[in-house]
Amino acid sequence: MISDKILKSINNLPAFPATVHRVSEVISDPDFSVGDLVNIIKYDQSITANILRMCNSPYFGIRYKVSSLREAVVYLGRKNILNAVYTAGTSRYYKKVKGYYWGATKLWEHSVGVALMSQILAKKIYDREDPGLFTAGLLHDIGKVVLGEFVHESFQEIMDLVSNQGYSFLEAEEEVIGVNHAELGGEIASLWNFPKEIRDAITYHHRPDLIEKGDDSIPWLIYLADQACMMMGIGGGADGLAYRGLKEVINKFGLRQRDFEESIVLLLKDLDEAKELLDLMEND
Amino acid sequence: MNQIVVGISDLKVSGNIGDVLITYALGSCIGVAVYDPYVVVGGLLHFMLPDSSIDGNKAKKNPAMFADTGIPLLFKSCYKLGAEKKRMIVKIAGGASIMDDMDYFRIGQKNITALRKMFWRNNVLIDAEDIGKNLNRTVQLHISTGKVLVKNSANVFEEL
Repeated sequence: MISDKILKSINNLPAFPATVHRVSEVISDPDFSVGDLVNIIKYDQSITANILRMCNSPYFGIRYKVSSLREAVVYLGRKNILNAVYTAGTSRYYKKVKGYYWGATKLWEHSVGVALMSQILAKKIYDREDPGLFTAGLLHDIGKVVLGEFVHESFQEIMDLVSNQGYSFLEAEEEVIGVNHAELGGEIASLWNFPKEIRDAITYHHRPDLIEKGDDSIPWLIYLADQACMMMGIGGGADGLAYRGLKEVINKFGLRQRDFEESIVLLLKDLDEAKELLDLMEND
Repeated sequence: MNQIVVGISDLKVSGNIGDVLITYALGSCIGVAVYDPYVVVGGLLHFMLPDSSIDGNKAKKNPAMFADTGIPLLFKSCYKLGAEKKRMIVKIAGGASIMDDMDYFRIGQKNITALRKMFWRNNVLIDAEDIGKNLNRTVQLHISTGKVLVKNSANVFEEL
């Protein structure tokens, strides 16, 4: 049960930038025009500024010095523009997070890490990348932005269940606060009109095994990317690694130990090349 | 106090008494702190994975990424500043795991095993350790005193 207090906090979140959804619509048309995209993006100054800050990141692989939004759109290309716009549009929510972290920028670092890792794993497993997956990675912990305040208030009680009674952090949130951050994140995504696959990836990112039917590959990939980032301490917080491992994931993807470790090595390289994405938090 | 940050897959050594080496959020990675009180030299390694054989090129470029290449480099870097193995105090922290990961990827446990094997083969004794469980740890090594402090989920630094 989500209490009225928490519902109120959700409603106080700034609306999700319409620009981002518009870009996503336009870009799904194979004949989209650069001019149309530029015209949509340019009215959101914060997103425009963020895109210009990020687009020379080695992660996006642009070899030219980009100085205008039009150039950014042209050089980023279809796949990267969507990832860049989502990154530019979501960083604003991660500035203040209580409860889980001691440093304010850590949840953003973790979210970008999971987005990057989701692409590495998708490439390794399916030989393709997926912008929906990237978005789900950026937003998988969005519930923490709201729940953090309540975790902060009940931190001792939650940690007692985790440290002494064998609860996972997720289960302890549910027991003490009445809702966990994954479920709450799914609610936020639904309020923001995200499609079902993204909502499910957020809601089930710790328990993809609970999805009953349909394609569950995005939630499982986000789950695995999240676990990898927790193991590596990427944006690691007070909840630590106190989440359950689901061994089904190994059969689900036929992933060997070696594949997993190689992916972790690649993640470190991508994180290094994606510093400009992490820096959005400091410059904003 | 001059704080020197040791990143993921990174190591730093120092002989300056004003320096404090620090590494954040270890997760399944392991922080290895070594210190020679006689010459007042210490080093801190934050390695990520147990075995460099998964990527030999990476190991050459960044030996601190793996236990088997990072640990020897940590000791050698301290020797260059005058430290001697027989005097070195060794403390480790990290190697945490996801819950119920018995049949899972077990990076934390593999890191711990790789480190113990190396130390055993090279006659290195561990003086203190804070490893395993499900928590993130932040580690500090104070060069002036050799004190190693570990911070866990309670957000309090405690001496190891």
